[in-house]
Amino acid sequence: MSSSKDISLPINDAQQSGCGCSSTQDTSAQQSGCGCSSTQDTSAQQSGCGCSSTQDTSAQPNVASTGRSLWRSLGAQSADAEASAFAAREFSSASDVLEGDDRRNFIKIMGAGFALAGMGLTGCRRWPESKIVPNASQPANRTPGVSVTYSTAVDFMGIGYGLVATSFDGRPIKLDGNTAHPYWGGTSTSWMQSRVLELYDPDRSRQVFRAGKPSTDAEFKSWLGERAKAMQAKQGDGLVVLTEKTSSPTMLDMIARFTQTFPKAKVVQWNPIFGNTHREGSNIAFGQSIRSQPQLENATVIVALDWDPFSASPFALRNMRSWADGRRVRAEDPTKQTQNRMYVVEAGVSVSGMAADSRLAVRRGDMPVFVAMLAQALGITGDSALKSAIDRLASCPASKNIVGDGEKEIFEQLVKDLKGAKGTSVLVCGDGQPAEVVALVAAINESLGANGKTLNMEPMSADTMGLPELVKSMNAGQVDTLMILGANPCYNAPADLDFSKAMGKVPNVARVAYYRDETSMDSACTFHVPQSHFLESWGDVRAPDGTLSVQQPLIQPMIDPAQGGHSAIEALGMLLTMSLGDSQPQDGYAMVRRTHMALSGLTGSTFESSWRTWLDTGMIVGKPITSANVSSRPSDIARAVNMLADAQPASRDASVELCFMNDARVFDGCFANNGWLQELPDPVTKITWDNALLMSVATMRRLGLSQGSMVTVNAGGRSMQAAAFPVPGMVDDCVSITLGCGRGESAGRLAVDAGFNAYPMRTTSTMRLVRGATVQATGAMYTFAHTQDHGSVDAALIPSVPHDGIQERLPTLVRQTSLASYKTHPDFAGHAVHTPHRLSLWQENNLDGAHFRWAMSVDLTTCTGCSACVTACQSENNIPIVGKDQVKRGREMFWIRIDRYFRGADPAKPNGFAIQPVACMHCENAPCEQVCPVAATVHDADGINSMVYNRCIGTRYCSNNCPYKVRRFNFFDYQRREPVREQSGPLAVKPEYYVDTGPNEWVRMQLNPEVTVRMRGVMEKCSFCVQRIAAAKIKYKNEWVKAGGTSGGTSNFSIPDGAIVTACQQACPAQAIVFGDLNDPKSQVSKLHASKLSYGMLEELNVKPRVKYMAKVINPAVDHSQHEGHSYTPAHENDGSTNKNQGAHS
Amino acid sequence: MSSLPVNRQTALPGFQETDNTAENPGVRAPLVLNMDRFGQVTRQVCQVAESKKPPFAWYVAFTVSLGLVGLLGFCVNYLIFTGVGVWGLNNPVMWAFDITNFVFWVGIGHAGTLISAILFLFRQKWRTGINRFAEAMTIFAVICAGLFPGIHVGRVWLAYWLFPIPNQMDMWPQFRSPLLWDVFAVSTYFTVSFVFWFVGMVPDLATLRDRAKGRIQQFAYGLFALGWRGSNRHWHRYEVAYLLLAALSTPLVLSVHSVVSFDFAVSQVPGWHTTIFPPYFVAGAIFSGFAMVVTLAVPARQLFGLKDLITLRHLDNMNKIILVTGCMVGYAYSMEFFIAWYSGAMYERFAFVNRAFGQYWWAYWIMVSCNVITPQLFWFKSIRTSIPIMFALCLVVNIGMWFERFVIIVTSLANDFLPTSWDFFTPTWVDMGTMMGAFGLFGTLFLLFCRYLPMIAMAEVKATMPQANPHWSGYEAHDDHGHAGGSAKPSFASPDALRSPGSGPDGGPPAL
Repeated sequence: MSSSKDISLPINDAQQSGCGCSSTQDTSAQQSGCGCSSTQDTSAQQSGCGCSSTQDTSAQPNVASTGRSLWRSLGAQSADAEASAFAAREFSSASDVLEGDDRRNFIKIMGAGFALAGMGLTGCRRWPESKIVPNASQPANRTPGVSVTYSTAVDFMGIGYGLVATSFDGRPIKLDGNTAHPYWGGTSTSWMQSRVLELYDPDRSRQVFRAGKPSTDAEFKSWLGERAKAMQAKQGDGLVVLTEKTSSPTMLDMIARFTQTFPKAKVVQWNPIFGNTHREGSNIAFGQSIRSQPQLENATVIVALDWDPFSASPFALRNMRSWADGRRVRAEDPTKQTQNRMYVVEAGVSVSGMAADSRLAVRRGDMPVFVAMLAQALGITGDSALKSAIDRLASCPASKNIVGDGEKEIFEQLVKDLKGAKGTSVLVCGDGQPAEVVALVAAINESLGANGKTLNMEPMSADTMGLPELVKSMNAGQVDTLMILGANPCYNAPADLDFSKAMGKVPNVARVAYYRDETSMDSACTFHVPQSHFLESWGDVRAPDGTLSVQQPLIQPMIDPAQGGHSAIEALGMLLTMSLGDSQPQDGYAMVRRTHMALSGLTGSTFESSWRTWLDTGMIVGKPITSANVSSRPSDIARAVNMLADAQPASRDASVELCFMNDARVFDGCFANNGWLQELPDPVTKITWDNALLMSVATMRRLGLSQGSMVTVNAGGRSMQAAAFPVPGMVDDCVSITLGCGRGESAGRLAVDAGFNAYPMRTTSTMRLVRGATVQATGAMYTFAHTQDHGSVDAALIPSVPHDGIQERLPTLVRQTSLASYKTHPDFAGHAVHTPHRLSLWQENNLDGAHFRWAMSVDLTTCTGCSACVTACQSENNIPIVGKDQVKRGREMFWIRIDRYFRGADPAKPNGFAIQPVACMHCENAPCEQVCPVAATVHDADGINSMVYNRCIGTRYCSNNCPYKVRRFNFFDYQRREPVREQSGPLAVKPEYYVDTGPNEWVRMQLNPEVTVRMRGVMEKCSFCVQRIAAAKIKYKNEWVKAGGTSGGTSNFSIPDGAIVTACQQACPAQAIVFGDLNDPKSQVSKLHASKLSYGMLEELNVKPRVKYMAKVINPAVDHSQHEGHSYTPAHENDGSTNKNQGAHS
Repeated sequence: MSSLPVNRQTALPGFQETDNTAENPGVRAPLVLNMDRFGQVTRQVCQVAESKKPPFAWYVAFTVSLGLVGLLGFCVNYLIFTGVGVWGLNNPVMWAFDITNFVFWVGIGHAGTLISAILFLFRQKWRTGINRFAEAMTIFAVICAGLFPGIHVGRVWLAYWLFPIPNQMDMWPQFRSPLLWDVFAVSTYFTVSFVFWFVGMVPDLATLRDRAKGRIQQFAYGLFALGWRGSNRHWHRYEVAYLLLAALSTPLVLSVHSVVSFDFAVSQVPGWHTTIFPPYFVAGAIFSGFAMVVTLAVPARQLFGLKDLITLRHLDNMNKIILVTGCMVGYAYSMEFFIAWYSGAMYERFAFVNRAFGQYWWAYWIMVSCNVITPQLFWFKSIRTSIPIMFALCLVVNIGMWFERFVIIVTSLANDFLPTSWDFFTPTWVDMGTMMGAFGLFGTLFLLFCRYLPMIAMAEVKATMPQANPHWSGYEAHDDHGHAGGSAKPSFASPDALRSPGSGPDGGPPAL
């Protein structure tokens, strides 16, 4: 793989992209990136790419006559006077001045020269000096300036994903899904996208620590050797390996070998999120561990019970794809269009809840009763015990208040739908519910015939020891050596376990981890060893459908080899080598090959060729997993349901419940130091850099709080402080907070002051829910950095001018209808706004004769607002993170954003949500272009609204005149700035103009060299990933020329539809974004633009957007709204006399 | 002087005023009080520049102003070296204090040229008492205005790209941008106003030169007096030039703020995109300009003893103009609302309702109460002629007009088409410092002007005195020829003298 691993790599770009002069070592880098001087240790030069050379080739006849080996003519060589005179004349203009004896002239020229030098300021500015190391020999398979993609894979929470990594000159700069992967497809999530930034995290661990003091890998190895010997003598008694969940066959193989070598040793897996609820639930329901994976593509009715399938779930990607496939509106005949219907029953508001066709707000604590009511209504008959248990639970006091008056209709329709969709419906219950509810849901699914059709039942291997048992034995002094591979229990273990205290009782603790965080900083931690990133090490993963992928490294560990940089399998391998001797492979490469040799049964050259294919395609397609035949055990379920009924409060529980949710950004906290994820707005609240104590508006009012009130939450004998934030649509008497925030400095610099840590509230018995919480205001206020509803959400919550304004325009901005009314009014989207006048101030540029007309279509029906596109865009286009204080100022830099609206007249109780991704619309009649005084934003020949950074002086007029407000201004040098938090003092922002290196060389390595890094004072915005368009053009034009096309003049080459994929399009899990050429009538985007559902947002302004939306068609259980577009029709009257064809419906 | 319609003395404490505001169709109201000789005018005006020490209040004001200039320098440097982010701007509100201040100062700059050009063409003789310093105010205001577009751009060092300078990049400005029109409009306005001001000042500079005692003063005034000797031919050329410049300036008065308003009117932001803007901005500019003239005139005449030259009548006239333009502005406000409703345009209507009742309601109502309600008090003559009240009201109008620009710019941008982008602008201390600093710059320049240049157009004022009329009854009543002092009394032997009441050291014709 990549041969270089040090930070010199990006600087090599400068050398390679320039005019290609060979350079010797230690020349100083040139700022302008062109040309390299060839002498040693020359100082940096700014201007010109003149490859200065020690040989002066200017005309010097006298030199020629003295026998230099270079001459220009025979005359010069023979010192012919005439020739010399001619040579002198050749440069007469300069030589006359300089060689003439006119002193005044000389002084004039010199003076002018000095003045020019001064005006150019070349002499005054110090350019940063940095060393470059040339590639003296060209590495194989690499063309300078051309990116290479490699397939690789990542394991996330025990689930394997197939990836494709783009590498530029040895630096991985972008991760995407592997398009060929049969299970995941080529899409990705924000988490996957941002893993590449994690690779270059300057705060990642790069140093071995022994008891808090810097140490070396050698020291660790010798310590490990001692431990291995000692443990081997006891057959591993007292040896425990604590890992995270994994799907890796090699890891499982290593664990098996480990257990074989140390028979009495234990292996514990710990993940704070996605625990064992489902496993335990299946144990109750089926008597065995079953992983039931929803197959939403087969479902027409989807019921999510306290489950957010689209975000905060490791299956999110797959769920969104299959859900979207089941509802995309593409039928030629609208009356034949079908759509699945998703009900979401939840306490908070989740991404899925916003995308749901019908949503019911039910408290988490009341969910068991709700499920029982559903089971009762469906008439679940397993046996009489189960029936009576369900009846008992369904008649608990809570049942009276769960389904409100307005929601009864929805509930009845839900029951009706489920009854009518046997075999094509599925209920999924989230891990926020106890195992007993999982078991009850399994019984319902079975009666609905879901198993094997909409649910894939896969038997799981036996469970390992749990964390509570481990802590118990640690406290009992039974653990002598604890090896923690990745997991961070000191931060995220249930608070009642007090893992840190238990660890103090273990004499030998070694931790191999990517960050030196809470567990590694613990005083009981003997050794901390840096872990390698998955892009730096070999491994393998297994997707939920059984497809295996090899995790191929793209770069050598960016850690001094003397300082560790092992992967988890390598750490286990080291342990085994210490015990079993050198016969064991120590590097990941050999281990992974050994595993797959064994799994495939191939050897020798057959294996080698298969191995190469696997690496190339990124996967080893195995036998697809078929659903196991399992049947439920009603009596056990009945017992479980009775237990639930026992646990229900005797009277109606009016206390506030505290729910722990999964964070859509930092997940369980593992991404706390990832700037892209920290700054990613939460899909629902739009809060960045923080989590918050969320509650409904009514609850907030009842508690006497307002947005940002600091509160003390007391629950289950524990308390925490957090700031309150209202979420319209959330269930009342419930507060929720996401896990994984508030880690502080131990997670890295970016995590400082980012949110509130909810883990201390969470115990083994209250993993997801604490009843009877009290919330008290402390009186302090907290300011959130959110990218929407700036100022205050509170203000928008009071029926007011802004709220009415939003509701009034919403039907025209986000056009939506129900499936039923779509069938009768398929062209409703064209009727939402009537536009009589469309006249321009000037003659418009019609872009006639454009070779391509790039355009985009965004399908609102399938967009869930998951925000994967936002991170993908950030990753592709070098979009900086700006930090919390700048987001508070409203200066986030995203080129694409997800707009979220609450629908309905009552701002506190929305009757729906609207989600809309907004990027630059590339208006053909662009308002930004007309107002730029320096022509810094102009159309290119293909109709892309381009931003010319070099030309921009930053008047910001374009942004003011942009109706979509998609332009982003570099208020500071964000790329050079540390994204630090609020600084104090009046000069909080320091002039950093002469800071030459920027925040960190590491972070800069992620930058995409194909995209300009913008300086302060310039405007930027979505470019339709113009670098990808250019790359495709070059490729297809070359092919065309090779095939006999004529270069120059009118080139007639074509680019096939789908050859250019924008970053957002590539990532979108719901495949809601389509990009292509409108000149090609067969392209997907042409067809979508021609669809009756297609509309341009604000196109009544005559801006002619190239990005159009496919109006949203939902399939609600109860269709209150006829197509909304007609609810408000401004300027309905059309004076046909002046516009015969312009007055058409927009 | 008993025939003059001077009726009563207003006797508010500290503000003894001679009231010359009464109208008598038969008799022209006097514009110069308590003086019957041209020399008195000359001495009165020149003593400010010639006195060894200006009044103590001048020092106080100058210190404060200079301090604010220091603050301005600091803020601007901090801005340029750090980034536009030191201001409170955010994504939807990309312009706030910067352009508010720009439009405010350009507006202030309107009164001077209007007084000197339009009133000149309309033969409004009362303009002579105030035109000089109103013009100076114009020039300084335009300097302050020009500062903001210059520093507000993201890359200040490239701001020269706004000008059509031939360059090796082969790039040219984009002529469809109203911002570019601004560049031309404001720079033209500044140039013409400056030339107009300077040309009008030449005879007075010559007077100062002739009276100067020190070498430096003689040299400096002499340099700028351009060799003025007060000859008949000089006067002839001068008056033609002055007339031409007035004719040239007059359309500029109307055009510059129209062009500034195009910045908004040509864009499509709801609340900006209205055709009423050009006349509305011009009226507003004159409104604020006159308020600023009154604001400056009241302390200046008090401080430098110029009450007899800037009389209550002058102030009364200006207050009437403020009343008229205030009503025009009020009409524009209401018409904006009417059209927003009448157009049926959803975004437009929201922009105006939100302006009055949204998050910036306070700014809107400050604007309305200052600009529409306050000037209505000027219907009452007692208020129009009360120095303290008019001073307070004009200050209020200035505040109101600043808020008008703030309301137009910020409220429109903060809540435009897509609600998800709505935001709230909060100024930082740098915003405030830059704004205060601009006032400091204005004050410093104005105070220096007061101290060293003729604040009142002596030559022109004298022409408005009855004595300037060769048929003045006083000449017939008593023959002053041969009185002691020679130049102490005006003596006009020929009609020529009417055109030259200001060339001699004392304002009379040269002694010999």
